[in-house]
Amino acid sequence: MITAARWDAIVIGAGVNGLVAAQYLARAGRRVLIVERRQEPDDALDIGWVPTPVIRELELERRGLRIEHADPWITAPLDNGGTLELWRDVGRTADAIRRWSPADAAAWPEFCARMHKLATVLARLYTAPPPDIESHNPLELARIAGLGLYVRRLGKQTIIDLARVLPMSIAELLDDWFESDALKGVLGAVGVWHLRQGPRSGGTAFNFLHHHAGNAAGVFRPMRSNLSTILLSTPGIEIRWGERARPIAGGVVLEPSGEELHARVVVSSADPRATFASLKADLDPEFVRAVDNIKCRGVVARGMVALDGPASFTTLAIAPSLDHLERAYDDAKHGRTSARPYIEAHATSNGLDVHVQYVAAPDAGLKDKVAAALNADPSQLTLETPHDLECAYGLTEGHLYHGELTLDQILFMRPVGGWSRYRTPLPGLYLCGAGTHPGGGIAGAAGRNAARAILKDAKRS
Amino acid sequence: MTAAYLARAGKKVLVLERRPRVGGAAVTEEIFPGFKFSMFSYVVSLLRPEIIRDLDLARHGLHILPLESTITPMENGDYLAAWGDHDETRRELYRHSPRDAEAYDEYGRLMHFMAQAVKPILSMVPPDPTSLAPSDLAGLLRLGKHFRGLGAERLHALVKLMTMSSADFLDEWFETDVLKATKSASGIIGTFLGPRSPGTAYVLLHHYMGELDGVFRAWGFAKGGTGAVSESIAAAARSFGAEIRCDAAVAKVHVNGRATGVVLENGDEIAARVVVSSLDPRRTFLELLDPTQLPSDFVADIKRFKFRGSSGKVNLALDSLPSFTCMPGIGRQHRGAFSISPSVDYIERAYDDAKYGAFSRRPYMDIVFPSMIDPGMAPPGKHVMSVFVQYAPYHLNGGWSDAKREAFGDAVVNTLEEFAPGFKSKILHRQVLTPADIERITGLSEGNIFAGELALHQLFFLRPAPGWAKFATPVRNYYQCGSGTHPGGGIMGASGRLAALRILKDGL
Amino acid sequence: MSLRTTPFHSRTAALSEGQAWRRWAGYVVASSYELSHDREYHAIRNSAALFDVSPLYKYLVTGRDAARLLDHVVTRNVGKAAIGQVLYTPWCDHDGKQIDDGTISVLGEQRYRMTSADPTLRWLHLNAGGLDVALEDVSERTAALSLQGPSAREIVQLAAQRDLSKLKYFRLTEAAIRGIPITISRTGYTGDLGYELWVDAEQALELWDALIDVGTPYGITPAGMLALDVARIEAGLLLIEVDYFSSRHALIESQKSSPLELGLGWTVAADKERYNGKAALDAERLRGPSWQFTGLTVDWNSLERLYADVGLPPRLPSQAWRTSVPVYEQGGRRQVGYATSGGWSPLLKRYMALAHLETSSAAPGTSVRMEITVEHRRKQATARVTPLPFFNPERKRA
Repeated sequence: MITAARWDAIVIGAGVNGLVAAQYLARAGRRVLIVERRQEPDDALDIGWVPTPVIRELELERRGLRIEHADPWITAPLDNGGTLELWRDVGRTADAIRRWSPADAAAWPEFCARMHKLATVLARLYTAPPPDIESHNPLELARIAGLGLYVRRLGKQTIIDLARVLPMSIAELLDDWFESDALKGVLGAVGVWHLRQGPRSGGTAFNFLHHHAGNAAGVFRPMRSNLSTILLSTPGIEIRWGERARPIAGGVVLEPSGEELHARVVVSSADPRATFASLKADLDPEFVRAVDNIKCRGVVARGMVALDGPASFTTLAIAPSLDHLERAYDDAKHGRTSARPYIEAHATSNGLDVHVQYVAAPDAGLKDKVAAALNADPSQLTLETPHDLECAYGLTEGHLYHGELTLDQILFMRPVGGWSRYRTPLPGLYLCGAGTHPGGGIAGAAGRNAARAILKDAKRS
Repeated sequence: MTAAYLARAGKKVLVLERRPRVGGAAVTEEIFPGFKFSMFSYVVSLLRPEIIRDLDLARHGLHILPLESTITPMENGDYLAAWGDHDETRRELYRHSPRDAEAYDEYGRLMHFMAQAVKPILSMVPPDPTSLAPSDLAGLLRLGKHFRGLGAERLHALVKLMTMSSADFLDEWFETDVLKATKSASGIIGTFLGPRSPGTAYVLLHHYMGELDGVFRAWGFAKGGTGAVSESIAAAARSFGAEIRCDAAVAKVHVNGRATGVVLENGDEIAARVVVSSLDPRRTFLELLDPTQLPSDFVADIKRFKFRGSSGKVNLALDSLPSFTCMPGIGRQHRGAFSISPSVDYIERAYDDAKYGAFSRRPYMDIVFPSMIDPGMAPPGKHVMSVFVQYAPYHLNGGWSDAKREAFGDAVVNTLEEFAPGFKSKILHRQVLTPADIERITGLSEGNIFAGELALHQLFFLRPAPGWAKFATPVRNYYQCGSGTHPGGGIMGASGRLAALRILKDGL
Repeated sequence: MSLRTTPFHSRTAALSEGQAWRRWAGYVVASSYELSHDREYHAIRNSAALFDVSPLYKYLVTGRDAARLLDHVVTRNVGKAAIGQVLYTPWCDHDGKQIDDGTISVLGEQRYRMTSADPTLRWLHLNAGGLDVALEDVSERTAALSLQGPSAREIVQLAAQRDLSKLKYFRLTEAAIRGIPITISRTGYTGDLGYELWVDAEQALELWDALIDVGTPYGITPAGMLALDVARIEAGLLLIEVDYFSSRHALIESQKSSPLELGLGWTVAADKERYNGKAALDAERLRGPSWQFTGLTVDWNSLERLYADVGLPPRLPSQAWRTSVPVYEQGGRRQVGYATSGGWSPLLKRYMALAHLETSSAAPGTSVRMEITVEHRRKQATARVTPLPFFNPERKRA
């Protein structure tokens, strides 16, 4: 059954990037349809920094955007029964650390300042498409030169830090600065988020900084916002719930109904491998090979725990040391779920949001382990493993960032080299999800960049 | 190397060596009468051809014999062989996987291009991106142009090679695990990383850049062992007028506003206009100098420079050659290398042991029989066997001792016995070298064979410290060269030459 | 034994008088059997020469999307080919540069055999993403012989006890020789009347013996690669890694060639919706290729004069050569191309060459100069651009 084109653009997926892309297109006068496979929206907050241009251009503050700035931003249980709390105020955190290590407390302020500078560079990179270093376009070259000058002006130390820190392992970076295992464990944990690597692996320092982008100095966990909730209540953008859409030439086909919907532009916020799975026969084999080689080995189980009363923390991290994380990774490396996983729980209005790493294979005892660690009732815990995520949402290998944020899968290499600016080899098909630059954990940046690319292309033709 | 180039330019050069012979870790020693070992480093290929030509090393005794094959025994009794002949290798790969046989050619071609793309970087002085000096800016621009000129496909491949793990990189090309394991092995040599650690794909390329007689990539033996390489360079230096004194350990570099000479351990003082250290950065700066003579952030950077030796060596004198289960008998396979790297997991588990402070119970080993290529290395009918081992961490739990050394040697020998039963009974003598031994004998800090890890954040303009990658040091007239400087280790000689050029440019 | 031997080796080895062997795709094959290849060459044009062409790579492509896969890969229209047809076709990369060339035999419904000079299994796999197709490498299982020459039909008919007069050029049929099932395709690499016989490797020797038995009274002559080289140049047929480089092996852009530059424009279908390199080839067709692949005939008088200048009679190459020889425009100063194969045609009594020339100098009849080294000195002989093939007998298609 074919329906005539009622829309200019169809967006696959109502995740935060899909929603943002739809907003920009709608504001430019396009008729937009979003197709989402979930049956209905949930009220979960979005994890990640919302870039300033997105807030400004979509007038989000006026529309009720709320950003949650947790304080303390992390609480870590210590072996001796105490807790380590890290605060938004750098001085207050230094005081908290001093109890366990005066040397670390002394190093804390400079560490925060230096890391913040680096994260600012990343933040700037993330609010635009990735630099196209192969371009001959004078405008693009000028932009890259501008970036270079900007970095230069941040000073010699920042340049050196950029070159040194980005390829480093977070373990090595933290070992250089601190001695306390608990502190390093808590910081190191975010360095391995959604990576099938341990803290001793190169590139985890980058991942650490990636999650720091847009944040205040000294805060090393992403903020949360109600971005999706606001965008979902926008009139004028049609959303179809409970339908899976597969891109075809000139539109999408819905499954399982088989209904075809036509539009000149299709923007997929699904992960790249899933997006191209049914299109292989129409693509250049080298492109297909590059897409198939995208590493998206999901290792994170996410879940929820219902609590009877409010939690005693904002975010709890069970990552007692870098070695604990490294051993948890070793298990995954050899195909098993971590015997002693890294667990993080964030307090929400009605319980906890849970992040568990590394889940690499079915493990019957996992739920009990997680519940015990959180002092919760296993029956109140729901946990979706990467396998569950793949089955439920078609998410390739259950990877929530649609592709690991390793150094070879960022910037102009994301999702594949040469195709990092949201366009695909198929005219009219675009990508806008976490699988594109800047990747997961930055709410809406990819959606914005993709929409702008679409509008630019439309103007050119 | 630096001495040879400086002497060739007409300077009066004195080389001071602590040990009884030159060579550092590239030495041949007759440890047991009649049996000569390339004690530490054991194969050659990365020695820059322009250096061989410039110094006429062939005339000074350098003769490199080709190493034609690598056999990897598998745990199920099968093997994977890489032969010198392309058709033969193809056929062997085809046996394991028809698609890998085809991919191998494509892969080789890509690596050839990538090695060519990276080659100019080996021979250039790293430009400093923090500096505003015109020469640095020009250098950066040149570098940028070079990378842009590679074209999209190769640029992307370069990014991958610089950042990925060798296992992940190879997963994109091949399906045969033992093939990936053997190739990954060259990615972890001398590192404190496993094949699944990001950053090991880069070292894959480093070892692919070997050139012999213009034939890219071939590895070889130096006739007379790797000591012959050092001896030939020394001979070349002497022929240009340089003087070499052995058994002359330097205790300190004398600084009076600038470097003015050295003080030997025996108290002798020698004055010079310029002093060059080819020792690793830790010794060059923290031992030969007083830390107060250096800027404090530079000292911090040097202290932060990672060594973490992870390699061991076992040198064996054999009564006869071992027969490997996977390829029984004695044959041409013994003229090449044997690689004990049956699977990626095998190597990764060896690394896991080291990660937590133990030596690998079942280590990765690269084995050659130098006496098969160069009969002079052992008495007639007998053989020498050189076993390079990963991993043996310098920072072993509880520290290295004689007993631990022997236990490590036993782990090596017992593992080999699994693949070549009866091997143990052929051993006449055994020398086991742990990173502690390597440090003690050669001076290489923590026994790191590259005088400092070859990790991306310690390379190029960051090696050995940011802003000090051009062979000069914060002390005037005191220079540095060696593997701890750009471009890194592997018997390349490149840094020695670049350092000499820098010294001459500065107007020695 | 490091190199492979073909299924016919025990027969061919016994015939080798001068132990003149060479490699082909990792196999050992005969350069010539006799001490000189002359007689073997003449057999091609005079009676029937028998070649062992087993080292070709052969792949069986079957399944619902078999034609679709092949149509993605090659430039010719496979979907429109009839059962029993054989297509000669190149295939290209995304930029329209030629990777390899070979044949596709339509063996049956959804059943094809593809031959290639270089291994192609991986490339086929890479292109098969999302398609319902099975790929089988039958290179080692399938042996192949090529019988070429005016007596070829008689011999094969006799051996197969079949009338083959209706088997048209580039068509195939199933048959049997002394009970041995074979496929006979009217194809070859000599530009003459000829047939290729495809047989299961296990029965290769029986087939050989049968052919020799039947063919001896008709002058069947086992022949090697040297003889084949001369014939293929006469036929204007290009050879990979000699006349062009696979884009997969090219080290620089200028080493790559498109089919249009190689005179294979006729193999590039205009009616296919998509295939590798289509966009690039469409664009190139519009603006015209910058190079042409043509024949050159060296002017005898010019050649004679160059040798006479040093007091020698003209020296002709005893074997076809496969090196790169510069070709200049008529004035002899500016290089306009290069010849890649050449040699003396004993049949046509001409010194011929296959060359790549800039389109502006490639019109038939154009006078050019080809470099020739005479007594250690570089000279230039006059040559004329000759359309290919040099030799095209009627019997080839009759």
